[in-house]
Amino acid sequence: MEGLMVLAFPLLAFLVTGLLGRQLGDRASGVITVLGGAFSFVFSLYMVYRALHSPVQIKLYEFLPLEGYTLSVGFYFDALSSITAAVVTLVATLIFVYSIGYMEDEFGKWVYKFYAYLSLFLFAMLLIVLSDNLLGIFFGWEGVGLASYLLIGYYHQQRKATNAALEAFVMNRIGDWLFIFGIIATFLVFKSLDIVEIFGKVDTADKALIGIATLLLFGGAVGKSGQLPLHTWLPNAMAGPTPVSALLHAATMVAAGVYMVARLYPVFEAAPQTLKVVAVIGGLTALFAALAATSHTDMKKIIAFSTMSQLGYMFLALGVGDRGGAMFHLTTHAFFKALLFLAAGSVITAFHHKLYDIYNFGGLKKYMPVTYASFVIGAMALAGIFPLSGFWSKDRLIGSYYEASFVWGLVGTVVAFLTAYYIFREGFVVFHGEERFRGIDPHEPREVGAVMTVPMVVLGVMAVVAGFFEGWYMHAVGDEHKDIHLNVALVSLGVAILGIVLAYGVFVKRFLDPEKTYESLKALHTTFREQFFTEKLYHGIFALGYLSYSKVLYAVGERQLIDGLVNGTAAIVQSVGHGLKVLQNGKLNWYALGLGAGFAILVLLFVALIYGGGY
Amino acid sequence: MKTIPVEAYFVVSMVLFGLGVIGLIARRNLVTVLMSLELALNAVNVAFVGADAHMGLVEGQIFALFVIALAAAEAAVGLGIIIAIFRYRYVESTDEITDMRG
Repeated sequence: MEGLMVLAFPLLAFLVTGLLGRQLGDRASGVITVLGGAFSFVFSLYMVYRALHSPVQIKLYEFLPLEGYTLSVGFYFDALSSITAAVVTLVATLIFVYSIGYMEDEFGKWVYKFYAYLSLFLFAMLLIVLSDNLLGIFFGWEGVGLASYLLIGYYHQQRKATNAALEAFVMNRIGDWLFIFGIIATFLVFKSLDIVEIFGKVDTADKALIGIATLLLFGGAVGKSGQLPLHTWLPNAMAGPTPVSALLHAATMVAAGVYMVARLYPVFEAAPQTLKVVAVIGGLTALFAALAATSHTDMKKIIAFSTMSQLGYMFLALGVGDRGGAMFHLTTHAFFKALLFLAAGSVITAFHHKLYDIYNFGGLKKYMPVTYASFVIGAMALAGIFPLSGFWSKDRLIGSYYEASFVWGLVGTVVAFLTAYYIFREGFVVFHGEERFRGIDPHEPREVGAVMTVPMVVLGVMAVVAGFFEGWYMHAVGDEHKDIHLNVALVSLGVAILGIVLAYGVFVKRFLDPEKTYESLKALHTTFREQFFTEKLYHGIFALGYLSYSKVLYAVGERQLIDGLVNGTAAIVQSVGHGLKVLQNGKLNWYALGLGAGFAILVLLFVALIYGGGY
Repeated sequence: MKTIPVEAYFVVSMVLFGLGVIGLIARRNLVTVLMSLELALNAVNVAFVGADAHMGLVEGQIFALFVIALAAAEAAVGLGIIIAIFRYRYVESTDEITDMRG
């Protein structure tokens, strides 16, 4: 019962804000949304407490009786799902609080819609996290797809935002298509969709079929988590408001793919080939996104690429068999990434949502101390500086990589270096150096209000302390605690500090002039910024290819064939009409002749029938 | 008194009906067309009455009366239309009333 409350409150908040938002007003809608998230968080904490003793399974009602298996709507609270739900609801609630401050400029322009979407999004995400069967997960999956579409395209007056929303939706559709086939395949293999039941049948099932099913399921995760090759939507999704970016790209939607693989991990373990694929895609994405992040200048896009890269880390960890580490990194990452996004959002708010390019800011340190501190803590956690949360989760992962193979470990270390470099590059350019915004926006930037700083402070605290719960978390989710390998930790700490020093040297002390350096490395810079031209490639091949294919079909199929048939029929009828018009000459005698002739013919026919042996 | 064979009635009826139809088709004058129509109707009456006399029934006469009444009504309406057209357009030939041409 308490478990249902976790899901009920966001749903209730969605219904209230969505249906009564006009009457309540925008601020009240925001408060209701926050309350929905907060109550959900409280109940999920209680469920964590319950689940740590023994898993709770709630069967709500029978949904679809099938042959030999009845699909029911149900929820399963084990340690993994309940802790994830708690993290999601906590981060979401803080982001909701923040969004009241962030959207203040727009109050009076139907912002209640925005809050309704946020609540819907949270509800769908909790469905993914808590459902006890694959179809329930799929419903949540589609729910976050819809909510993300609505949220990314919230600024629907901007073509950029609507395009990004469309792109996110279509890209996810590809993944979801694979995912639903994966669900079908899983059902065929196990004759069940219930997660707990499936785990019991893994040993007896056909290994090859499991491989196919898991590969398809992973396809869904690739789409949702923005991994290669379905990654282009993730950075573009930054067109939505910043709280959306924080919600979607820190704690919830993009993490859903990782969570799904972790949730079904026993099934994936039965398919080592799939795990290899997971590892390769994760590792490649981690490296790829980190490289792309080094050359972008959009404040939020850098963080978005960082998210992609960190998700790649998690998938790589799943691929090499460290499920607990991946989920733990997901948890810590949720805190510090949300923090980074909110800090970026504060900067954007201080400049009235007009500026996004990091080179338009500079020297904000003394104007926005809380934001600056938040950003630094988030960046340090992301870079994996001891003793912040990122250090513990990340170095556990890198240790796992080295245990699996040296190559993966090297990838992890390189990405750690790049991560430190790009995030501190952003930090130094925005908060240090000369005040470049003077020429663009003459007003003094001010620190944002308490409604925005408090969530940042809370997240900051979480980002610092979350790492110390590693042992407890592993014990809870039933994975063994791993000691950090000292040499791995030192190496990754070393490269992280190296990355920070490099960023400091280039962007603050200017030992190298960054613009000139970029000029000299122009080819490389462009390659990274264009994400190795994948976006151009997709646009060129798929989008334009499809367009030209449609154009050909339109010219030949639509215009010639279908219109030809329709208009041809009309033309035939018309010409026959023209021919028959001669008969309708309006002369009475002709009509009488026709009448008589017809009658005569009928009489002759009857006579022929009667006397011709018919009767 | 010699009885008239039924075939004679029918022959007369057919001839009259044929003349009526020919009149309908060939004549141009509106009044004449109407008269041809009456001729055709009366030809049928002849057939009815002849058959009736031959069989010793009464239905033929009833039918004939019906047809006469119908013809009278029709002639009234038809003449009314003809007069209206004539007043309005001052034509009497069917060839000149081709408003219903397609």
